[in-house]
Amino acid sequence: MLPWVFLVVSAAMILPAAAAFAAGDEPGEYLDRRVVIWNLFFKMMTVAFTVGAVVSGTIIWLIWRFRESNPKAKPTPYEGTDW
Amino acid sequence: MLELQKPRPIWQIMFSTHHTDVGLLYLITSLGFLFLGGALALAIRAELFLPGAQIISDAMTFNRMFTVHGTTLIFLFIIPFASAVGNYFVPIMVRYKDMAYPKLNAIAYWMIPPSGALIWLGFADFTWYATPPYSIISAPGPAADMWIFGLKILGISSILGSINFIVTILKCKHPDMSIGQVPLLAWSFLSSSLIILVAIPTFAAALLMLLTDRLGVSGFFNPALGGDPIAYAHLFWFTFHPEVYVLVIPAIGMMYEIIPRFSRKPIFSYNSGVFAFVLLSIVGFSSWAHHMYATGMSFTEKTVFMVGTLAAVPASAMHVFNFIATMWNGRIRFSSPMMWAVGGIALFFSAGAGGVVNSAMPLDFTTHDTYWVVGHFHLFVMGTIAFGSIGYLYYMFPYVTGRMYNEAMGKIHFIMSFVGTVMVFFTQHVLGLYGMPRRVFDYPPIPEWIAMNQIASIGAMIIGVSMVVFLANMIHSSARGAPANIEDPFGLGGRYYYPFEARNPRH
Repeated sequence: MLPWVFLVVSAAMILPAAAAFAAGDEPGEYLDRRVVIWNLFFKMMTVAFTVGAVVSGTIIWLIWRFRESNPKAKPTPYEGTDW
Repeated sequence: MLELQKPRPIWQIMFSTHHTDVGLLYLITSLGFLFLGGALALAIRAELFLPGAQIISDAMTFNRMFTVHGTTLIFLFIIPFASAVGNYFVPIMVRYKDMAYPKLNAIAYWMIPPSGALIWLGFADFTWYATPPYSIISAPGPAADMWIFGLKILGISSILGSINFIVTILKCKHPDMSIGQVPLLAWSFLSSSLIILVAIPTFAAALLMLLTDRLGVSGFFNPALGGDPIAYAHLFWFTFHPEVYVLVIPAIGMMYEIIPRFSRKPIFSYNSGVFAFVLLSIVGFSSWAHHMYATGMSFTEKTVFMVGTLAAVPASAMHVFNFIATMWNGRIRFSSPMMWAVGGIALFFSAGAGGVVNSAMPLDFTTHDTYWVVGHFHLFVMGTIAFGSIGYLYYMFPYVTGRMYNEAMGKIHFIMSFVGTVMVFFTQHVLGLYGMPRRVFDYPPIPEWIAMNQIASIGAMIIGVSMVVFLANMIHSSARGAPANIEDPFGLGGRYYYPFEARNPRH
């Protein structure tokens, strides 16, 4: 149920924003495209690297912490069962 | 299940319609094409090690090599490998004796060798996109025509295989098994098969139009006759952006088998896995024109496709979250399959992050047709799809051969491939930002370009060496490896409920 709610909420948020963004394309507006593009690039890369660092860091920590040779490792509740 | 343990005459396997025999044929064929396509990749990287002609005589030969490289690895390695896994495991997972249509299954396989022969004997030069109007007006025949026929046959094979998977999963599953109990690997095949059924006919039509254009009886994509090459781009990408999901969804399904098993825990959320597969199958069709931002589309159209592309992010993130949450609190054994799967997840995330940048239309103009695109695409196909597939090959090896592979060699294979993949494809992203165009035989001697091409080429050679280790391991272990404990080949405890339950009636 939760994923469906997530999907509907996402659509409700994204579609109006996209429509407003597209409607804002007015001729005659002066932009230094090079500056705009690279600013957008650096912003997106900052977000990507931040999220990437969190996800990669989590994976590396998981590998270290939950490897079976870690002294703190303990059997999961499912071991020896027919799960 | 033990296909290779009891020797049988080769014809008995070749003309069998049993799903494990057909799976074995798919497996061997796909691995053969992996090495052929990989050899071409090494030649391409060796050529680009320095500016100027190095080992390849001319640009036309170079074009032929990267055309056949791409066609081979996508259509003759990744898809047949997924079919091999599906043939082996889907009937077992849905508890049926075979695929729904065994003869159709064998026919679908037997379309692949002639297609491969057409593609390799022709050795076309117009890229795996068959770029019109070049492919219509001046691409040399019969190579181009052989490529078109080869792809046509492969498309029919894919459609037959998809129908078989869909019917097997939906109609032949055990009556006691609801669709909500079908393992995620089988769900991945159901999703990708449905995508194939919707997507492939469009490209089949485009191929026919391309062929009649080449024959001069039509002008669909020929500007001189009033046609439009951009129409081909729409038809091509309507098929081949969803096709990316056809390639990646089974690989993710394979990871869904490996990660819980080696974490000694059930999957964190089965429902979100199913939901994400279905969502990817749908949104895969809402993003094809993001490949075409530079073709003069209106701002509104580009915005729609940008949003459509970004819609794939939540589904992909669900998979990554599911994998991480499954590993959490597990007791993980890092045997080769698990190393490949975890490496694949890490690279999947990196490839996806690059894709988000690509989908933003202003940035796409900056990176369009540069090595960024090459890096992004290959990070998906090599870093995610091939990693998931090779991990699964190690996983299924004991069930196919009855023997264990050499674990140390499997780990060496993984480490070298992971390092090589990062060296090649991360570097290519940066190379693209430095402006190097893709699909070029030669490049100006700009010091940064030379340095990055050399890093990429050395990375490719490392992957090449790792593949030699892999080949030696597979050949030696399938003949002389230690006998596997089929009940628990990886020593994880617990009971494996399906892989060894298949019984080939011929054994």
